[in-house]
Amino acid sequence: MGGYLRLLRLMTAVVLGSFAAAAALADDPLVYATIQPAQIALGESAQFTITNLGDGTNAITLPVVSGLKFEIIGRTREMQIINGTMLPSSSIVMRVTPQIAGIFTIPAVTPKAQPLVLQVTAASGGTSPAQTAPRAPLPPPILSGGSIPKGVHLTDDGSAYVRLSIPKREVYVGESVPVDIEVGMRSGFVSSLNGLPKLTDDNFALNNLSHQPERAEKLINGEQFVVFTWRSLLAVVKPGTFALSAEAPLTVKIRTRPRRESALDDRFGDPFWQNLFGATVPKDINVTSPPQQLKVLELPTEGRPADFHGAIGTFSIASDVSPGKADVGDPLTLRMRITGSGNFDRVDSTMLDHVDQWKTYPPKSSFNTSDPVGFSGMKTFEQPVIASKPGAQELPGLSFSYFDPNARRYETARSTPLSVSISPSLADSLTPPPSVGSAGPGNNIYAPGLRPDHADAATATPSLVPPYLQPRFLGIPSFIVLAFAAGWAAARRRRASSVSEPVSDRSSSRAAKRVLAQMQAAARTRNAAVFFDSARTALQPLLATRWQIEPEDVTTAEVEARVGAEDDLRQLFALADESKYSGRELNATDFARWLRIVGVLLTTSRSP
Amino acid sequence: MTARAASLLLCLLIGAVQVHADPAPGGYSAAELYNLGNSYARMGKPGMAILNYERASLLSANDPDIEANLQYVRTSAHLPGEMRGTFDRIARIASPLLLSWIGVFGLGVVGASMIAAQLSPRHRLWRGGAMLLGLSMLGLTICNGLALWPILHEGVVITAATPVRVSPVPMGDPLFTLPEGETVKISAEHESFALIETRAGRTGWVADSNLAPIVPRK
Repeated sequence: MGGYLRLLRLMTAVVLGSFAAAAALADDPLVYATIQPAQIALGESAQFTITNLGDGTNAITLPVVSGLKFEIIGRTREMQIINGTMLPSSSIVMRVTPQIAGIFTIPAVTPKAQPLVLQVTAASGGTSPAQTAPRAPLPPPILSGGSIPKGVHLTDDGSAYVRLSIPKREVYVGESVPVDIEVGMRSGFVSSLNGLPKLTDDNFALNNLSHQPERAEKLINGEQFVVFTWRSLLAVVKPGTFALSAEAPLTVKIRTRPRRESALDDRFGDPFWQNLFGATVPKDINVTSPPQQLKVLELPTEGRPADFHGAIGTFSIASDVSPGKADVGDPLTLRMRITGSGNFDRVDSTMLDHVDQWKTYPPKSSFNTSDPVGFSGMKTFEQPVIASKPGAQELPGLSFSYFDPNARRYETARSTPLSVSISPSLADSLTPPPSVGSAGPGNNIYAPGLRPDHADAATATPSLVPPYLQPRFLGIPSFIVLAFAAGWAAARRRRASSVSEPVSDRSSSRAAKRVLAQMQAAARTRNAAVFFDSARTALQPLLATRWQIEPEDVTTAEVEARVGAEDDLRQLFALADESKYSGRELNATDFARWLRIVGVLLTTSRSP
Repeated sequence: MTARAASLLLCLLIGAVQVHADPAPGGYSAAELYNLGNSYARMGKPGMAILNYERASLLSANDPDIEANLQYVRTSAHLPGEMRGTFDRIARIASPLLLSWIGVFGLGVVGASMIAAQLSPRHRLWRGGAMLLGLSMLGLTICNGLALWPILHEGVVITAATPVRVSPVPMGDPLFTLPEGETVKISAEHESFALIETRAGRTGWVADSNLAPIVPRK
């Protein structure tokens, strides 16, 4: 019962559609053109389609518009049922690319058709809202094809496929291998792509997988497919032989009726009619590409250069230095450009290090890729270098080592040495500039108000550092300070000694007076023993100091040995012994005479 | 002993006088530096002109021509002028060479006065006057050193729009630029870069090729 109701609805739709198409066909020409979109930005393209309904005998004139480029990108041929009549339909699909901005009128393809208008706005640099708005994506190129391409393995229901494209050669550990992952989805059969494609083998990783894949439309096995293509780099981390495949998560529409019952649906176009009559349900599936064998090898150790840093690919180098002329101390930039394809993340160089008469700094690098995944491009190393001596200097050639996977050997690329002219530093020059006086006042604002030159004096100093800060000169004041310090110390010592000597004299004279007083008292009592004993006691310490002996050792024999037997001093010591033991008497004259002698002896014995 | 010391002092004095009196080849003279500054000014190189005027001013501080041309070039290059204070004028009343000998002489007068005071208590007034004179001469030399000390650590930017970088490497990020002829304080040095401080207090690293110290380094 349900099947009849659906058939009735289908017939009603066909009848209504036929009436509408017939009415339209009565007014419209058999050949018509469309353009989508009608407004684009400079740098974008539009799709121009010429459709011919009928047997194709109408003459079609391809448009020629100045400023627009027309390229035929596909032709389609199909049958259409209009008002119950099956008509052949052919279309020519062209890509229209503007060379300039403006409003273009595309002439009618037939005399009865209407001309079309294409508005092209400037791509960038303006301030209008249309120019600042994000650019619309390029219209996908429409391709044609009838058979299943190589490497495409459709799912069982023919709704999708995943194709993995890898190099057919052996690869090496550390190498970056460019791969393409193509996901094809039949129009109307796949409702959504639920994630990015990935590899089924965990031993590999996809680097730089583009989030915005390339979009195209293809005819595969007579059906229209929307094809997304991701480009990426395959990172190979371990050796071995692997079966590599990719998968993508999709949501597809599954038929709910047997194929024989839906044959009519297919005849009138799958998506619309199946959805119209509720013949499909969504289902999440993982579509996998056919596995491909990939052999991974270790890098050879033989012949590995010392400066090899893991770069694998095909490279060439060039170098330059700028500026070509500089002063001593001026920084120059030495550049090394490595161009080619490979794993640029491992392309590294220390450039120059420890070069005579050059001061070198660590280089920095920048990479400009020429593809979306960073496999090809140019890596530039810039190293600041400073010349330390003037003259014609030479920077040695640079080298870069890598492994060429195609030649299967290590290669070293070398650049030629670079010559640089180095002038003496301006600040160190004491000679006048060569063009003194040649600069005219017209190009110099300083000359008019200057005071005149001075007559050159003969005196010159070897240094601008003040002499009192120079070590050689500082010796003079240092010596003067030391000399005066020594003189001052000597004078102070002399003064101190001159002050202390009268004190000693005074104390000595007081002792001498005291001894003489004792001797006078003894003389008045005519006590010769006390008289001479006092004299000897007073003289003994003085003589002991003078002769550097102990006072007890100053005896009559010692005195006689030093001064002789006839000296008054020896007689004094002898009389002292004699009067002590014999009790000798002296008269007043003798006492007076010996008093005078002892007084003299006490005075003279103090001096050395 | 005294004769030996006297002969040694005499040798030192004669040697020092010869060192500072004989014009060594390639030496500096105020007139030569002043003329060199004029030459650079006529060539339109204010940085080198100011550098040589500053150097000439070190040797002949109160030369009116040097001062006038220095201020003129500064003004013409739209650089702020420098006004010298009273202390600076007094401290730099003579050349550093002359002031060095004045200091030595003052040192000798002070020393002789101190020794005389030890030897004899007489002529106290004369000794006191001599001591004051010697200390004044010594103080003048010290003041000259204090006035010149900052200049000895200054440099002049000799290239136009000199970049001042955040670090002492050629690829260091530039902080700001200095005009040619600007005088800056050099705080430190690292390889071929100098850490400078502007009069406004901004600091950064400048390549040696862009900067010339007022007192050249050997």
